[in-house]
Amino acid sequence: MAELKIENVNKSFGETHILKGINLDIPDGEFVILVGPSGCGKSTLLNCVAGLEEVTSGAIRLGDKDMTRVAPKDRDIAMVFQSYALYPNMNVYKNIAFGLEIRKMPKAEIQAEVSRVAKLLQIEHMLDRKPSQLSGGQRQRVAMGRALARRPQIYLFDEPLSNLDAKLRVEMRTEMKKLHQRLATTIVYVTHDQIEAMTLADRIAVMKDGIVQQFGTPQEVYDDPANIFVAGFMGSPSMNFLECEVSRVDDGFAVEVVSEAQSYLLPVDPNQADLSGYEGKRVILGIRPEQITHVMPHVAEQPFVTKVTVKIEVVEPTGADTLVLARINDQECECRVHPTESGQPGEMMDMLFNMSKAVFFDPKTEDRL
Amino acid sequence: MSVTNRKGLDYWLPKLVLSPTIAITVIFIYGFVIWTAVLSFTRSRILPQYEFVGFEQYVRLFANDRWLGAMSNLLIFGVLFIAICLIVGLVLAILLDQNIRAEGALRTIYLYPMALSFIVTGTVWKWLLNPTVGIERFMISLGWESFVFDWIVNPQMAIYTIVIAGVWQASGFVMAIFLAGLRGIDTSIIKAAQLDGASLFSVYTRIIIPSMRPVFFSAFIMLAHIAIKSFDLIIALTGGGPGNSTDVPAIFMYQFSFQRGQLGMGAASAIVMLMTVLAILVPYLYSELRTPKNG
Amino acid sequence: MAKMSERRYSEITGRAVLYGILIIVAAYYLVPLLIMIMTSFRSMDEIRMGQLIELPRSFTLDAWHQAWNQVQIGARDELGLRPYFINSIKMVIPAVAISTILGALNGYVLSFWKFRGSELFFAALLLGCFLPFQAILLPQSQLLGWLGLTGSISGLVLTHVVYGVSFTTLFFRNYYVNLPGELIKAAKLDGAGFWMIFFRIILPLSSPILVVTVIWQFTQIWNDFLFGVVFSDPSSQPVTVGLNNMVNSTTGETRYNVDMAGAIIAALPTILVYVLAGKYFVRGLTAGSVKG
Repeated sequence: MAELKIENVNKSFGETHILKGINLDIPDGEFVILVGPSGCGKSTLLNCVAGLEEVTSGAIRLGDKDMTRVAPKDRDIAMVFQSYALYPNMNVYKNIAFGLEIRKMPKAEIQAEVSRVAKLLQIEHMLDRKPSQLSGGQRQRVAMGRALARRPQIYLFDEPLSNLDAKLRVEMRTEMKKLHQRLATTIVYVTHDQIEAMTLADRIAVMKDGIVQQFGTPQEVYDDPANIFVAGFMGSPSMNFLECEVSRVDDGFAVEVVSEAQSYLLPVDPNQADLSGYEGKRVILGIRPEQITHVMPHVAEQPFVTKVTVKIEVVEPTGADTLVLARINDQECECRVHPTESGQPGEMMDMLFNMSKAVFFDPKTEDRL
Repeated sequence: MSVTNRKGLDYWLPKLVLSPTIAITVIFIYGFVIWTAVLSFTRSRILPQYEFVGFEQYVRLFANDRWLGAMSNLLIFGVLFIAICLIVGLVLAILLDQNIRAEGALRTIYLYPMALSFIVTGTVWKWLLNPTVGIERFMISLGWESFVFDWIVNPQMAIYTIVIAGVWQASGFVMAIFLAGLRGIDTSIIKAAQLDGASLFSVYTRIIIPSMRPVFFSAFIMLAHIAIKSFDLIIALTGGGPGNSTDVPAIFMYQFSFQRGQLGMGAASAIVMLMTVLAILVPYLYSELRTPKNG
Repeated sequence: MAKMSERRYSEITGRAVLYGILIIVAAYYLVPLLIMIMTSFRSMDEIRMGQLIELPRSFTLDAWHQAWNQVQIGARDELGLRPYFINSIKMVIPAVAISTILGALNGYVLSFWKFRGSELFFAALLLGCFLPFQAILLPQSQLLGWLGLTGSISGLVLTHVVYGVSFTTLFFRNYYVNLPGELIKAAKLDGAGFWMIFFRIILPLSSPILVVTVIWQFTQIWNDFLFGVVFSDPSSQPVTVGLNNMVNSTTGETRYNVDMAGAIIAALPTILVYVLAGKYFVRGLTAGSVKG
């Protein structure tokens, strides 16, 4: 177990720069998730940490050792792959034992280690099966078992759940979290699924175009996104982005929204943003669907809450909530209401805009204000 | 745990393992082709010698009636061989693709000639086509007294007997390629076309065959390659005769280089053969590399 | 109802015509083989009286004996195709083994241990698959002369290895690039090195392509005539050359039955391979034509 330091890592293939100056400090025992759209460089970064790809510049330190030029086999790192990468010609026992055998561990110890891991992951009964005889979830467990058996300093996971069906994925997610709580080892985990990132991580690194956009706890990333990309990537359904004009009201600022030819001024919470330089200019208001709800008396009385009448365009029930698509400032805007409160498409409906968690972005730089 | 540097064993081992083949490629493939090219610009006769004469060997080559005859024979043989193989192969593949009960057995029968040596094929067909004992004699014995099938001894027609034997040997192979191509087509496309009201015939002519263009292409390349290299089949079937009527560049090259002591001209003919192959191959590879992977 | 049965009727005739065509075509491919077999068991007297294409009325193994070890081929002392057949075996076993091993290693490196220039090298190597061998015959015979291998089986083995390695490499490389690359990454992290990964992970997964390659190389080398006729002398000529010399020796009467028996002898090993492992044979043919 050790802390992992990624210092100013760059990686390019010829003219294409995949990673552009990545810096991450991951303390011992932390569960860190790299998340981002495909092609953002997250898997490349993971491969660089594993030593499967050489960095162009920068350093990777594990504990107090510089691992940058060390061969993968000598880094004491274990990795679980998206395809599981089980050796098809070996049975489960051999798959788990292979790495130990190569490291010349005595036979008896290997046996003890394999049975410990098998017990931990409840795969004892399938030790002499071949990978082809296992289901997706079982293969996933074996792949984890192979990683666990070596007791490495750090675990890397490359989209380990993405080949499982939805139900199994949720189950394995919980198990993985339990496992981390029990083992308390450093984990770097790559996924493109922001729900997985939110639920599993101690901290999330959101990546795009080879740059870490934001590195923080799931709640920080969700509530305080650094820019439009992070705000839009995290959370489902996605945050609403409405371009609107800033104007001064009595004791602060407000942004103007128009719905069905009616104009509303939504007050800005000074704790969320200081818009003093933006009076009369346009900004992008970011507001999550759950901050736009049907009228509830206890909410209506809160500060920074405004009632807006909208026309319902589309209704999407999800069971627990119903998503209502409306048109604000001529842009689509999703609202989250209680199923019983939703109207029909074409009807008018009153919505409460709660601005206490709203965020604002510069339309040009797309950075947070 | 020992920490080895990256540039250790695993860094140079792959290169070391590949090095014999790199040497083979550099010396035996590229080196030897260049060497042959160099020879073709020399006055070499029975033994190689390096007195350069420019393009003289090529000029002599293209003034040589036997070479011109060999080239035109190759053209006739090549065009017919490729065209008939493609047609027969495609038709057989489509017929076999109709849920045929004994498909496996029929496929095995159609394809087995490809496992034979061209020498064996040539030997068998040499006697089958022989008018005094083969097919002509057989037809006459059936009572068709006036039947004549003497192409193999007729200088005008002998080249077509090469086509017959060549097609017999290679068309099953083309069938196998096309069948693999047919099986690789997304069946939902065919279902969609049938829902659109297309008949089986138009499904094949309008959708399936056009979508097999890459398969046609690679079958064409393989057949062209076989045709240009063809040597053993003709040696065994007609020996290049009667006269020189079935002469082809490969035989010309062999005889001039190794039997008639005309190394320079033999080398020149070999280079012309190589250029012909490249002329067919390069556009193919170019289009293959340019278009993203099809299927 | 009438329409239905009419349609069924035309469907059935359609199928009948289809099967009819397929069977006639099958006959076209089979008849030469059948005639070859039948003729080889007939006596020369019977053929002389009749023709090639007829049912045998006698049965004798005489032609097989003749072809195998009695007929005089060229001016050599040993009689029959037997010595040529033995030459072919002596040539084909080492040539197939060496070229296959090289191909497997090359494919392994070119798929999993790429280095700067390795892709370019692979592209360059592919010329070897399309090279008309006439373009290298003269230098190769010169080189064999310098090495003192002219007219020897070793010289033939060398030639077949050198000009077979392009194909074997292509086969293995195209097979290996379709194996998941993560397998190698996992093995590297498990601490395995170059040879360990090859022998413990890759080789055990290679049996299908190994069979395809061995069969391909075996048929190619066994059936070769050009290298055999150019680079060997009577003591080292392979069976294809022996057969051709036997059929085309002009002395005396043409003995069709002996020629046919000889042709079967020369074809027997590859036919046997085809019958026993036809699936892999076809895979090799199509792998050689449709690049992955």
